[in-house]
Amino acid sequence: MTDDGTARPTGSAPDAAPGPSPEPTFDAAEGLRIIAAQTAKVRSQEPDARAIFAAWGVAWLVGYLAMYLTATGRLGQPRVVEGVDQPASWAFVVFALSIVGAMVFTIVHSTRANTGIQGVSASFGAMYGWTWCLGFAGMSVMLGGLSRAGAGAEVMALAANACACLLVGVLYMAGGAFWQDRQQYAIGVWIILVAAVAVFAGLPHTYLVMAVLGGGGFFVGMVLEHLRRRRSATAGAGFAGAGRRVGA
Amino acid sequence: MSETELDPVIHAQARLRVVATLAALGPGDRISFPRLQDTLDMTAGNLSTHLRKLEDAEYITILKTHEGRKPASYVELTSRGRLAFETYTASLTALLRGTTP
Repeated sequence: MTDDGTARPTGSAPDAAPGPSPEPTFDAAEGLRIIAAQTAKVRSQEPDARAIFAAWGVAWLVGYLAMYLTATGRLGQPRVVEGVDQPASWAFVVFALSIVGAMVFTIVHSTRANTGIQGVSASFGAMYGWTWCLGFAGMSVMLGGLSRAGAGAEVMALAANACACLLVGVLYMAGGAFWQDRQQYAIGVWIILVAAVAVFAGLPHTYLVMAVLGGGGFFVGMVLEHLRRRRSATAGAGFAGAGRRVGA
Repeated sequence: MSETELDPVIHAQARLRVVATLAALGPGDRISFPRLQDTLDMTAGNLSTHLRKLEDAEYITILKTHEGRKPASYVELTSRGRLAFETYTASLTALLRGTTP
């Protein structure tokens, strides 16, 4: 079969006419290999869930650990407010910077990977991204309301953590449901479980639970995603199905 | 239908690569010309030639738009193109197994 294509495979037929544009023929196996290679190339340009999980794992581990260590007096003097041992001010700064850092990384990584792609996924991604932002903005206002209504330092600390984790967990589950990504869904369930345990653990242990089990959950997710990629790479299959994306 | 009637629109290495790339995106997703070109590592002229053929067969649509002041093109596989690609892939698999689809 000849056509006016131009791409030439390595080791093309030696008896092919030396015309300007011989279309190299190929067999079924080569055709399937080409399809698998292109599919893999497209997948490799999608956001890497491993990197995003790693960023959040580090952020939670470092941020919450700083809060725990200072609140228990293992790092500096504990600050007592209303009879509750509070993390040091700098620990809150470390926590905020960790979270903002992971957020910026996620946004930059996802945006870069999705540059030049428009349509259904992009508009879903944009709405989903805004859902995170608006959800947290709304949550902050509500927490402000709780504080104004007289919630004490301990209740505020527990409520802030619980609400944030509930939101994160639900959004992971929603993302997992939409993208049919069980791993992402499972992480959402795990975050809600951990946050529930963390509330009952009470301050300052809440922070330790979040650092170890919460941060650790992301690392487990990272490892599982890595194994999944290796499996699908060795299987050489997987040219069906829609793109896989992961949210913050 | 007798054995190896592979779709001639797709059964050319360059166009197979184009269609496979577009099919790897989700349905309803379109990709910008420069990104497609980058993914395929083809020259703009070469890619345009193949896109025209695919467009003539109504396997793709090309959306011409503007980003700021710069004109931009986005390429999308039509449902007809996706069906043709799936049929083609099934035919290759059947050929490999030594059965007719």
